[in-house]
Amino acid sequence: MRNSIEFEVYGDYALFTDPLTKLGGEKLSYQIPTYQAMKGILESVYWKPTLIMIVDEVRVMNAIRMESKGIRPIDYSGGNTLANYTYLKQPRYQVKAHFEFNMNRPDLADDRNENKHHNMLKRAVKAGGRRDIFLGTRECQGYVEPCVFGEGKGFYDEVEELHFGHMVHGINYPDETGRNQMEIRLWNPVMRSGIIQFIRPEQCTQVRKVSDMLPKTFNSSNVEFVDRLLAQIGEEGNG
Amino acid sequence: MSWLLHLYETYESNLDRVGEIEKRYNDREYTLLPISHTTQNAHIEVEVTEDGEFHSAFIIDKKDASTLIPCTEESASRAGSKIAPYPLHDKLSYVAGDFVAYGGQIKKEEPYAYYIKQLESWAQSPYATAKVRSIYNYLKKGQLIQDLVHVKILCVDADNKLIEKWDKKYEPLYPEKPLIFSTVAGGQDSAFIRFNVHSPKEILTKVWKDREMYDSFIKYYQDLLGSEDICYVTGQKLPSTDRHANKIRNAADKAKLISANDTSGFTFRGRFSQSNEVASISYEVSQKAHNALKWLINRQAKIIDQRVFLVWGNDMPEVADPTEDTFSIDPTPVTLVQKKSFTNQELASEISKALDGYRNDVTSKSEVNIMILDSATTGRMAVLYYRHMNKELYLDRLVKWHSSCAWLHRYRKNEQGEFVQFYGAPATKDIAFAAYGPRANEKIVKGLMERLLPCIVDDLKIPQDIVTSVYQRASNPVSMEKWEWEKTLSIACALINRQEGFKLALDTESNDRDYLFGRLLAVADVLERSALGREETRASNAIRYMNAFSRHPSRTWMTIQQSLQPYQARLGTKANYYSKIIDEVASRIKLEEFNNKPLSGKYLLGFYSQRHELYQKRENNKDVVEASNEEEKSI
Repeated sequence: MRNSIEFEVYGDYALFTDPLTKLGGEKLSYQIPTYQAMKGILESVYWKPTLIMIVDEVRVMNAIRMESKGIRPIDYSGGNTLANYTYLKQPRYQVKAHFEFNMNRPDLADDRNENKHHNMLKRAVKAGGRRDIFLGTRECQGYVEPCVFGEGKGFYDEVEELHFGHMVHGINYPDETGRNQMEIRLWNPVMRSGIIQFIRPEQCTQVRKVSDMLPKTFNSSNVEFVDRLLAQIGEEGNG
Repeated sequence: MSWLLHLYETYESNLDRVGEIEKRYNDREYTLLPISHTTQNAHIEVEVTEDGEFHSAFIIDKKDASTLIPCTEESASRAGSKIAPYPLHDKLSYVAGDFVAYGGQIKKEEPYAYYIKQLESWAQSPYATAKVRSIYNYLKKGQLIQDLVHVKILCVDADNKLIEKWDKKYEPLYPEKPLIFSTVAGGQDSAFIRFNVHSPKEILTKVWKDREMYDSFIKYYQDLLGSEDICYVTGQKLPSTDRHANKIRNAADKAKLISANDTSGFTFRGRFSQSNEVASISYEVSQKAHNALKWLINRQAKIIDQRVFLVWGNDMPEVADPTEDTFSIDPTPVTLVQKKSFTNQELASEISKALDGYRNDVTSKSEVNIMILDSATTGRMAVLYYRHMNKELYLDRLVKWHSSCAWLHRYRKNEQGEFVQFYGAPATKDIAFAAYGPRANEKIVKGLMERLLPCIVDDLKIPQDIVTSVYQRASNPVSMEKWEWEKTLSIACALINRQEGFKLALDTESNDRDYLFGRLLAVADVLERSALGREETRASNAIRYMNAFSRHPSRTWMTIQQSLQPYQARLGTKANYYSKIIDEVASRIKLEEFNNKPLSGKYLLGFYSQRHELYQKRENNKDVVEASNEEEKSI
């Protein structure tokens, strides 16, 4: 496909914080990544407001294991505190995703060149991403590599079905929904033979409004369109 | 699935136990609390007639003090000068309308007014029971202290004020020190009162044990709950709460699993500005999940230095504990060990049989939850480990652990207090003591237990530092007492055997260098021991040199062998048997391997198995040996 990408992401630890434990600060990881976490990783690889990244499916390669660590979080008001964070150990995921154009951004209509963006995305994955990758939280450094989705042996290949209860799917931001508010989406993920098929954000039935929010404006002053960039390079090349 | 959801499900599948008082082995009572209820120690019990008149009152015996009382969200977390009455039973300052008249001290407003208004609205709600109305009818008269003074439960001084503190000067009024002063720790005004309804015609269920009362309050309170929101645990739209339970591990425990009073530390601020933006939990789920957790912890958790190790099944709470040793799962004495062919498969099937009780339950959901909780600071508690797994798989893993990390142990006592031997895996706590010594700090013990749990339930390798530590301590017998060393040794063998997969029975075919060196050491030890006789308890040379031997085997072996000579001489021809074994074993070690390279843990296995074999032989062949001795003498 001209807009899809497959890659593998892994690290020593991951912390996809369960929001219930985020409140008090004793963080505990979800057992599987959220849609939003995977989307964030993809956006670290390659991002542009013109595009919306859609994560299709995630394959859990390693066994879901946990390890707790004693952490000294920085207390911004001074002093220090102690907490126990519980991380996922040695996470490894294969991800299949694609991008779509953000129709809520008519201002960026000129930037909708699918082939160009696709090639840039592929190169970015090959290079290990444009920005640094992290699994859930900033202290969990991750690494991205191209892969063929479904290749290799996964730990849960033989496990027919695994339910994870109620989880956060992701966050709706105004520039992707067209509504001027921030919302949280919830869903019930199921892992079949190690693969979690994500539903699309707009398919989530449980959406909870968090607060009002306005989208950031992008225009020619802070975005450079690919075609123009190409043309520019072309000129230089010709000249 | 999420741990909260599983706790909630556990509550739902144990609804028949709600409010039932169970007792732990140490006589401590615990209950699966109904929602919107908590427990408190009451001091005075007041009986009210059905018409709402005072009947009688008495001071409650300490053993019977624990009372299940209804509570609201505010009262559950009231502190300091905040006025938040419990709905029914409460302290004197709340329930007595004449508290101030009798000299009670109150801060700011009068608590009684809040209390009686709250009780009134319950008593007049459609969910109220006759008992609530009786109690309300009595209390609205506001003469509780007057009645209690009248029946001589509370004491007043000459001015008709409550006596604050017992003093000799009151002796003219009360010749004996009234009971109330030894029951209530504070003054009389901090006494906690519980109410009961008395009927002359029939025996009524005690108010705090009455299911109808629980339901009445739960239904009444349901209507008062706050706004609805999506519950992150169940996904349903239900009244949510931002006050969650504390006192999870014990009555004095302030740590909460879910808390949100941190608005400056940037735990959630950034994307969210209010705590309720981060997540929302329904009142019902929060109550039920926390109550189930408290109940489970009271029932079956292991607590080490405030760290909670908890294993439970969703439908049936009881599950085999992974941190226990084989003996506690299958306490049948081991006679099988004598058999040479006793293998791990046999042990596995024995343990399987012992675990069958847990297996047989074939209800729809047979799953096991494993959870570790601990708090780094006093206010918050974290989930350090959570696993939810299929029960079959869990039990299979247990069988695997107990049959692979197995050795012959002799440190456990049976019910009669005698030492018994068992073949199997040691308890994780004993592994900690073997690795770090018997006086190891509890913090270290709990850390090791947390690290070992994944090894058991996920069948992972035991961390090398633990194995090394146990190995080193087992190689240093002079540093500890005999029994302790034997315990450490058998645990070390169990851990090393999990990696190596040797049998307990002596493997005479093995040509492994370390194993053979271990055998040599055992023969030297047994030879010297048998020459010393029973009265002599000093350590043999082999044992004293064990530590050096493990690091420089060939050099130390020379020393040991030299020091063996006097004992060989003393034993005379009897030593021939041992000397033959030494020759046989030593000849198996390849010339180039007979060097000073440090020994691996396998040498402990060789040592143990050889020693076991030799002692076994002696027991069986005692008659033969003695007979041959007689012959020798006659010649």
